[in-house]
Amino acid sequence: MDNQKHMRDEFIGKMHELAKKDRNVVMVNADMGAPALDLFRLELPQNFVNVGIAEQNMIAVATGLALEGKKVYTFAIAPFTTSRCHEFIKLNAGLMKIPINILGVGAGVGYDDSGPTHHLTEDITIMRAIPNLEIYSPSYSDMAKNVSEIVYKSPNPTYTRLDRKLVPDLSKYYQYDDFTSGFKELEKGGEIAIIATGNMVHNALEIRKKFLEKGRNIGVIDIYRLKPISTDLKNTLAKYKAIVSIEEHLLDGGFGSIIAEIIMDGNLNTKLKRIGLKDYFYIYGRENIQKRCRIDVNSVVEEIEKI
Amino acid sequence: MQENIIKELEKKAHELKQSTLNLCIGACTGHVTSSMSCAEILAVLYYGNILRQKPGNPKWDGRDRFILSKGQGSPILYVTLADKGFFPKEWLNDFCKENAKFGVHLQCDVPGVEITTGSLGHGLGVGAGMALAAKMDRKDHFVFVLLGDAELYEGSNWEAAMFAGHNRLNNLIAIIDRNWLGVIEYTERALSLEPLEDKWRSFGWEVKRVNGNSVKELLNALYDFRSFRFTKPLVIIADTIKGKGICSMEHFPLMHGAAPRGEAAEKAKQELSECFF
Repeated sequence: MDNQKHMRDEFIGKMHELAKKDRNVVMVNADMGAPALDLFRLELPQNFVNVGIAEQNMIAVATGLALEGKKVYTFAIAPFTTSRCHEFIKLNAGLMKIPINILGVGAGVGYDDSGPTHHLTEDITIMRAIPNLEIYSPSYSDMAKNVSEIVYKSPNPTYTRLDRKLVPDLSKYYQYDDFTSGFKELEKGGEIAIIATGNMVHNALEIRKKFLEKGRNIGVIDIYRLKPISTDLKNTLAKYKAIVSIEEHLLDGGFGSIIAEIIMDGNLNTKLKRIGLKDYFYIYGRENIQKRCRIDVNSVVEEIEKI
Repeated sequence: MQENIIKELEKKAHELKQSTLNLCIGACTGHVTSSMSCAEILAVLYYGNILRQKPGNPKWDGRDRFILSKGQGSPILYVTLADKGFFPKEWLNDFCKENAKFGVHLQCDVPGVEITTGSLGHGLGVGAGMALAAKMDRKDHFVFVLLGDAELYEGSNWEAAMFAGHNRLNNLIAIIDRNWLGVIEYTERALSLEPLEDKWRSFGWEVKRVNGNSVKELLNALYDFRSFRFTKPLVIIADTIKGKGICSMEHFPLMHGAAPRGEAAEKAKQELSECFF
């Protein structure tokens, strides 16, 4: 992963590129740093607005700018740009359908060393309840870059949740892909497939490897747009006898719940096993947290073997 | 200042109050007292040659933006916008009814309304963003935000005030309808808002304080705003009386969301008609 860039920097780098061509691109920031952002601030200071650590005002100012025709991106640590200012997003972006692009870094327990104040394990639940909001959850850097342009072009408000840490490259799966379908079956499986989003897609691929060693072929599906969810996903799920959803997120209304809704509403015969976080706050160390909550690779392998 | 202009605006404020009261009585809902306190403010802004707007073209780019952040004051704004010709007066007949164009709180899809409000503490931040955009694009229109005084308990206002002060948004004008009442209690008993002038000044704003039910004082406070004489955003703290003009509802707690019914409604109409000479 030596040459890999953080998803955050690829996303912001693309925004920078767009801002060079379109002077209406503005970044409203809640005092949050990133190497790519330093470059943006240096080259385009007039397109950069720091509101201080004030996420409600970040969304409000972004809304005002967008109402006047600016193409606005906002940026803060993920829990603070979602839970902290949820009603501002609901009313200003959702209700009025103002196209601001909210970027949150640190989905799941990416800020593992910072503890539960900086973890974000409920955003899928609360953000998908906002009408008109598109939700993106990229799984690797180049996808994040593409999503940055997708949200720039979208007429709707958007929320993009990014993992804080470096993640492996998945380009080999996405050659010639325009990232508009919202999901991809990365590996076709036999009777069972694992479905995941963001950093957990990499866990899913690891789990698949473990089963290949045992002679079993488990499929892997990457969902990178959580809302609107692709209507085609239903057909992919229907091919399998069982789906296992894994998420670094609370099970209550989270990623697995989206899959459950598709299966139930579509009257599919596919069985679903949801694996995610239980009702609890977790502390320190992503590996430690994943093991304790049994969402790590080995624990999920054990769970799938029971199916 | 010409006395006849003042008289005309006072008359207009009174007409707006009467129409608003009738609107709320007809719908059996709507925040009457919150509307009464800001009638003179709206009369001055919309009829006193303050707001630069084109009712026939509500989204005209050169317009001054007006945000009613205290969205519960929507009845009197709807009445004003209908009277100015932003939309047909007939729309008012369905206020708060099924399939109506609008209800108790303010909706952005109504011609002349910039943003949806009702949840408090949103308008100033959005207005600051609009004012910043105008600065970025070197446009010369102004952004007005009318806030309720008890709305200032929402901390987001102070985030926005700090932001606007720091960025010297001198194209942003906040008016505070200082009617001294929240929902259940007088503000200074519930949680002191004063000294308001010092608070805003320390956040980097130019501050004026006037009798907000006086057309003359409001006009005086705004007479030269377009000159950009100030390098800071301007806040006008407009001391008002909640329910002004309806004696039985004036300056009295628990009247916040009340629309009078039956005998109380007739009494309110009578009191309002008698308060203007």
